[in-house]
Amino acid sequence: MSSWILLPVFLPVLSGICLLAASFRMHLAQVRGETGSGFLMWALDRKKLHTFVMAILGITAVLALAAAWTGEHSVTLFYLMKDVPVYFHIDGIGRLFVSIVTLVWVLAGLYSLAYMEHEGEETGYFGFYLIVYGVLVALDFSGNLVTMYFFYELMTICSVPLVLHNGSREARMAALKYLFYSMCGAYLGLFGIFFLYKYCGTLAFTAGGSLNLSLMQGNEGILLIAVFCMLIGFGAKAGMFPLHAWLPAAHPVAPSPASAVLSGIIVKSGVLAVVRVVYYIVGAEFLRGTWVQNAWLVLTLLTVFMGSMMAYREPVMKKRLAYSTVSQVSYIMFGLALLSPDGMTGALLHTVFHAVIKSALFLTAGVFLYMGGRTRVDQLRGIGKEMPVTIWCYTIVSLGLIGIPPMSGFISKWYLASGALNSGTGVFEWFGPAVLLVSALLTAGYLLPVTLNGFFPGEDFDVAEVVKKEPPRVMLVPLVIFAALTVILGVMPNGLIGYIGQIVSALV
Amino acid sequence: MNTTILMVAAVLLPIFGGALVPLIPFKNRMRMAIYVETIVLMTSAVVAWLLFHRTDDIFTLFRFTGNLSISFRVDGLGTVFAGLVAALWPLATLYSFEYMKHEGHEKYFFMFYTITYGVTLGIALAENIVTMYCFYEMLTMVTVPLVMHTLSREAILASRTYMYYSIGGAAFAFIGMVFILVAGTTSEFVPGGVLDPEKAANWRNLLLLVYVLCFMGFSVKAAMWPFSGWLPKAGVAPTPVTALLHAVAVVKAGAFTIIRVTYYSFGTEFLRGTWAQAVVLIFTIITIIYGCSRALKETHIKRRLAWSTVSNLSYILFGAALMTPLGLVGALSHMVFHAVMKICAFFCAGAIIYKTGREYIHQLDGFGRRMPKVFIIFTISGLALMGVPGLCGFISKWNLAKAAVESQNPLAYLGIAALLASALLTAVYMMTIVIRAFFPGRDFDYSKIQDVEDPNWMMILPLVLFAVAMFWFGLHSSTVVSGLEQIASVVK
Repeated sequence: MSSWILLPVFLPVLSGICLLAASFRMHLAQVRGETGSGFLMWALDRKKLHTFVMAILGITAVLALAAAWTGEHSVTLFYLMKDVPVYFHIDGIGRLFVSIVTLVWVLAGLYSLAYMEHEGEETGYFGFYLIVYGVLVALDFSGNLVTMYFFYELMTICSVPLVLHNGSREARMAALKYLFYSMCGAYLGLFGIFFLYKYCGTLAFTAGGSLNLSLMQGNEGILLIAVFCMLIGFGAKAGMFPLHAWLPAAHPVAPSPASAVLSGIIVKSGVLAVVRVVYYIVGAEFLRGTWVQNAWLVLTLLTVFMGSMMAYREPVMKKRLAYSTVSQVSYIMFGLALLSPDGMTGALLHTVFHAVIKSALFLTAGVFLYMGGRTRVDQLRGIGKEMPVTIWCYTIVSLGLIGIPPMSGFISKWYLASGALNSGTGVFEWFGPAVLLVSALLTAGYLLPVTLNGFFPGEDFDVAEVVKKEPPRVMLVPLVIFAALTVILGVMPNGLIGYIGQIVSALV
Repeated sequence: MNTTILMVAAVLLPIFGGALVPLIPFKNRMRMAIYVETIVLMTSAVVAWLLFHRTDDIFTLFRFTGNLSISFRVDGLGTVFAGLVAALWPLATLYSFEYMKHEGHEKYFFMFYTITYGVTLGIALAENIVTMYCFYEMLTMVTVPLVMHTLSREAILASRTYMYYSIGGAAFAFIGMVFILVAGTTSEFVPGGVLDPEKAANWRNLLLLVYVLCFMGFSVKAAMWPFSGWLPKAGVAPTPVTALLHAVAVVKAGAFTIIRVTYYSFGTEFLRGTWAQAVVLIFTIITIIYGCSRALKETHIKRRLAWSTVSNLSYILFGAALMTPLGLVGALSHMVFHAVMKICAFFCAGAIIYKTGREYIHQLDGFGRRMPKVFIIFTISGLALMGVPGLCGFISKWNLAKAAVESQNPLAYLGIAALLASALLTAVYMMTIVIRAFFPGRDFDYSKIQDVEDPNWMMILPLVLFAVAMFWFGLHSSTVVSGLEQIASVVK
């Protein structure tokens, strides 16, 4: 029996629900002027709340990693419909994703302990934070398309409150936009699932796809349309044009650690869904050379360029980072769309690296907010004198995102470019790398000014007035870890590349 | 025990039991409540017994002439509808006792409310098209007073609209009935249809036209566009009426009658692939989108839910109009699951109106924190209506889409797109309420809604049961769906 692998799903979800219940009771008690008792008082106490949250996060992390790395577990939980089980199976790619999720979730959770003090309503925030973690673990462990879809929707719904956290009008509009786009994407995905259900032998993930060739005969047209809908639909979560507009609205209004996990991790669920559909259900072979592949490549390149351009023009730090996510995740999508081993390797590498880097960037933006409420890039002059460690971390991960060796981003971009050159996709062979290059320049253009102005504020800036003040240690430690990872993964990427190569060799 | 007698008992007990309500001098309100609930529970018990001891016996109450008779039989399709109303009626009645406190004229309300139960069962258990038609007309008559209940100008106008629409629709349905009697071999309902093959071949186009007219006629009760206008207007009725009758009993009677004439009278083999099918499919697809769009625009909470019902009923009609057994499974599963979801949403709306008097959505800021039980359950029903997996709405959507894909009809593919687009709009019109209620903004002043709180157990209990049912059917649908598949397997 390996049903214990579901513990890291249920534990955080149930604890999260407890916290939400406590939050409701607290509110009612406040209104009625009662003094709470028992668990309620316990959840009111910040210190105890933090211990609880970190304990749950820690236990879940250990359980999730144990489940992921102790073999190919599979569990059928129950039958959602007669021939559609809710089925979990841990395979190479799920293992990879769950490890990144866990890493970022624990570190961003740690960061939240200090950060959320100034946002308020911590109980509710941590409740949803834990729930989404559990749902993501389930999403990564999913063994068939319907199970994945199940948790994909749950993830959307449970993460809306994170966007809504500050309850302002802007946040409400952003949350609705997020919900609308995500649902639109999910339903496009579902549209495809209905067709795949008919034309695939099984909806369980099978390396190389499970299309039923005899059934499919003569229906290729409708099937290609269905797959294209799924790419657009699941691409919505990954911020791919044309369903990208929610991302720059929703990510910045969330509290910074939530932005970090939204941008670093939750967008990757879109990537995971696309990987599952393309490489595990329909198979890369079916799409190679079709109009779907070409259209997909065009969309990704368009998004890469557009995202970078918008980021370059954006003066508000968190919005700039959100646009950067739009652009960077489409690097990953571009790699997947190449349908070649190198392209896919590059995509998966970039998934890992971008998760680490983008989380770090948003956490830094959070530091700027937390320490003096600075939201705009032009308010950051001289910041390097004020918090040098933070800005050094920022600079290291920025260089990683631009793709400068020895930082990690270089490796993934190398694979993406060489994958494109050898992909046999005609014009995209040289056009793709060209766009990536231009976008890298833009990335440098929108990230590095913070460092430059931070360390070299110019003649007229009074350095003497600056008080050196780093953020609290629980906020700084995650940043340092992320920065260190960016360097380590860049210098010693072979283990990871070898692991990803193994996954990819079975697929393409 | 003889089941045939029980069929009549199920129909007549609530009709007569209800009619007696104003005549009996009850000592107090509680006595009346106990009396009504007893009648309703007894009827539900009889129906439950019938469902579990199904025989194919026919009971003829009386004959008009020749083959025109009022007869009952418990068949597969009938059990779904009868079982559905039998499960919901006692809960809705319980809810009404609390709700109707502030509405007045309770005796007349409960009289008609209980009679409607019997009439609805009459439609479900009807053995032939004549019986079904008679009860269908009666249903209009007994529900008009319920819409008119408050006797406000608005209510009177609404009930008038309702009556005109319904009677007009019934006239078209009547044409269908006459042609079935003429061109059919029998007036009974037979899976696969009763049309005489020779006449069907000779009068092909005429019969198809008649089918379309008949479909349109019955679809008035199912609020299909362009006959949907009455339903949101009828939202002036007390909430138990809008919840049970205008989300389940009356409107689903419309869908049920359409399924009857499509699968049991005209026969799907005759209709499938014809222009008639294309026409009705197009109308249902339009309604699916139209209902949602109107719901989105509506700011009155009950009317918004009513427009949502318009859209969702056309899911059922869409499934029925696919004219395949799978389509029927989809239609029936949505019939059952939508009933649970929508009655729950309406009861939540009713609880809000009853406890706070607020009826418009923009007045609901911050309510989620003050009446958490109601709003959490409202959220669940909203998610279910959107078709989030894990809740029952997903199952019916899945079944409908599966049927549509299998039918390989391009219009059906369009229908899937419409279903999903409508789900998206549902997300917006339900979740805007939820977000408003739970996240009114950091600086919201809760003292403005000091009076808002959860209602008592009589209102909460049905809500909780419905919420549990939504999860139960969503996570464990195979029993229900395979039952429905068995029922649908008899039609071709």
